[in-house]
Amino acid sequence: MVLLLLGISFIVFMSMHIAPGDPANIIGGPTATKEDIAGIRESLGLNKPILVQYFDYVKGVFQGDFGFSFQTKESVSEALMSRFPNTLNLAIASIIVAVIIGVAAGIISALKHNSWFDGAATVISLAGISIPNFWLGAILILIFAVNLQWFPVGGLTEPFWTLEGMKQLILPAITLGTGSAAMIARMSRSAMLEVIRADYVRTARAKGVKEKSVILIHCLRNAMIPVITVIGLNFGFLLGGTIITEQVFAINGVGRLMIESIAARDFPMVQGAVLLVATLFVLVNLVVDLVYAFIDPRISFD
Amino acid sequence: MKNRSLTKWLTLLLILTFALAGCSSNSSSGGSTKGNAAQEITYATTSKVVGLSPILTNDSVSSSVIEQVYETLFYRDSKTNEIKSLLAEKADNPDPNTWVITLKKGIKFQDGTEFNADAVKYTFDKIKDPKTAAPRASLLEPIKSIEVQDPQTVILKTEKPYGPMLAALTHSNAAIVSPTADKKQDLMKDPVGTGPFKFKAKENGEDIVLEANKDYWQGAPKLKKVTFKVVPEITTAVSMLQTGKVNFLDNVTAELLPRVEKLKNVNIEKKAGTPVYYLAFNMEKEPMNNPEFRKAVAYALDTKGYVNKLKGLGVESSSFIGPELFGYDKSSEDKAVKYDPEKAKEIVKANGFDKQQITLLAANTAGYMNMAEVFQAQLSEAGIKVKIETLEWGTYLEASQNGKFDLTVAGWSNVTGDGSELLFPRLHSKNAGSTNVGRYKNPELDKLIEASRSTVDQNERKELLKQANELVLSDLPVIPIYHGVASMASDKSVTGINLEPTGQWSLYKAERK
Repeated sequence: MVLLLLGISFIVFMSMHIAPGDPANIIGGPTATKEDIAGIRESLGLNKPILVQYFDYVKGVFQGDFGFSFQTKESVSEALMSRFPNTLNLAIASIIVAVIIGVAAGIISALKHNSWFDGAATVISLAGISIPNFWLGAILILIFAVNLQWFPVGGLTEPFWTLEGMKQLILPAITLGTGSAAMIARMSRSAMLEVIRADYVRTARAKGVKEKSVILIHCLRNAMIPVITVIGLNFGFLLGGTIITEQVFAINGVGRLMIESIAARDFPMVQGAVLLVATLFVLVNLVVDLVYAFIDPRISFD
Repeated sequence: MKNRSLTKWLTLLLILTFALAGCSSNSSSGGSTKGNAAQEITYATTSKVVGLSPILTNDSVSSSVIEQVYETLFYRDSKTNEIKSLLAEKADNPDPNTWVITLKKGIKFQDGTEFNADAVKYTFDKIKDPKTAAPRASLLEPIKSIEVQDPQTVILKTEKPYGPMLAALTHSNAAIVSPTADKKQDLMKDPVGTGPFKFKAKENGEDIVLEANKDYWQGAPKLKKVTFKVVPEITTAVSMLQTGKVNFLDNVTAELLPRVEKLKNVNIEKKAGTPVYYLAFNMEKEPMNNPEFRKAVAYALDTKGYVNKLKGLGVESSSFIGPELFGYDKSSEDKAVKYDPEKAKEIVKANGFDKQQITLLAANTAGYMNMAEVFQAQLSEAGIKVKIETLEWGTYLEASQNGKFDLTVAGWSNVTGDGSELLFPRLHSKNAGSTNVGRYKNPELDKLIEASRSTVDQNERKELLKQANELVLSDLPVIPIYHGVASMASDKSVTGINLEPTGQWSLYKAERK
């Protein structure tokens, strides 16, 4: 895992430095003269050879020092930690929305195969995958925040356990959760359909097992493996990729920090954020693997 | 079927989830103000504040906070356009290379430090120190030495006379900082100036909260609390303005104007501003270095029609030095090339300019891209083939400074309000390849610009700037498109925000009713 992250840090470091655009230029803005910009470059240590800069950086990271932002001069780890709770809240809320809607819709679709509900759910989930977040977010704001005024327009300023905090989370969570819900719904539907026709399900029914336990224990548990994979992947993406939703709902999260830092060529900040997201992604995948074993005892990690 | 009850149960769960999303509560958050409003105001900004030190930042969002917390020695009166004293009492020139600046007495910084000549010297020395790497060190570059004569008098010496000295001192990047605070803390996070508001806290990792400076030397402001809230999406910011979650925002775009105008609780203010938007030619490339080509382009562009599309958010003027700048002369308007598509076609045909494809470079913000598209269409009507290339801001800055373009749409905000500070960075040969992106080199213009900078007599400077401006309009290294309008949309409960032509604003006299 350390090697993987080291590789990621190297790729990010190099691609940021090779990409066009000079951080000193952006800090100075169009009004800065050549001398102004040269001064800034020197103060940022950008005139050292690129490999020396990289080794300095990695050395710092191993000592727990992620450096300071070129642009705002704040500590990268502090900046990330102040934003991470927002992203985490949003990701958890969205995945809850996605799992509840997705799994429920998927199971019903499978049970009522080829019914009107199945058709409608398929169409809606296709739409859910296709609708861009920024559009859905803007529409939800217009309807529920501006016209009906049920929820605040944006921001994530209150803790999620308060009523105000929950209200702030609902619209962004729906916006973000819709795509994942659609994917999960499709996945659970097909997984359920496969399992429902299996011999052991017929056997269970023949034994006279209650229909509820047939569905929830015999079918669902076995259908869950691919669904969990999709949930895990989506959760990983949500942790790192909530950029557009954070933008539309004015939420100060890691995704937005990353996009702003990329625009400002704030190298240390981008590197720190990518490392954080990559680490989380690896961890989420690890957890997913462990969950497999829990759901399906046949899978074991020796 | 037995599984009917389960299906029902799951359907119910699904409906419940949707319903939960809808019915949590009907009480509206925020809302418009009722009765005796709290003297608090929230401003929505589309990008985050980089930092709060005037010495280390050079972006308009940081400046909007800095302008409330710090003050400069002089300021430009937004009504008369004259330079007036703020922290300074007066300025004298015993000789053209010496500026004796007398400071006001009895002013204190927000941390209790006395404002005096030492503070001025400390600030200016720090800006000039190469170790500081101040983004606008060039602002004070002509100053050779800063001497403290007595606590109330500071003497600035230059090598050559520097005409726009006072204009440079009105720039928010030349605001005076508290030396005690600067030595003790990081002003980027914890600023201390002499202004009407002082820093209180940073909330949610990015929103800046200011509170009234009760001991402000001109009397405490009426507002008790000011919040600068980051709302990256401008449409979301407008929704927040509509629901009362924020109370004002600035830089309303032409696309959003119709929506904002429909809001019943919102006032819109527009003020002719100092920025200029123009088309620049890369003078090191064919055929841009051909005066005939530049003339053809100038004839082909319907700038008047373009300004009309901006719905009042642009001022039409053919002068490069705009109407709100020092050095503008109305008579120069007639010297500019006027829209004449037929003439453009003639020149293009006669010189064979229709054979080559020209790249028009634009930064990928709505305003610049829109401009590029309109001009692409107009130029192609005249027979000039144009390909648009759009780049993200950081890449654009680098590409334009490295001359990787044929034509580019550019802008300059003119914070000092002085024509010299437009012509020198943008068209003087010394800045070719940095701020002079078009790499224009004209010894005659250089001379006029230098003279306008090195003359202390303001009337003479005006005349020199007029000549320089007219030379630009005839040689056309740039084609002025329009001059910016500072705009602001605020909740009707808010009064007294002073919007300046630079687009900056002061909240000192603002209040809520």
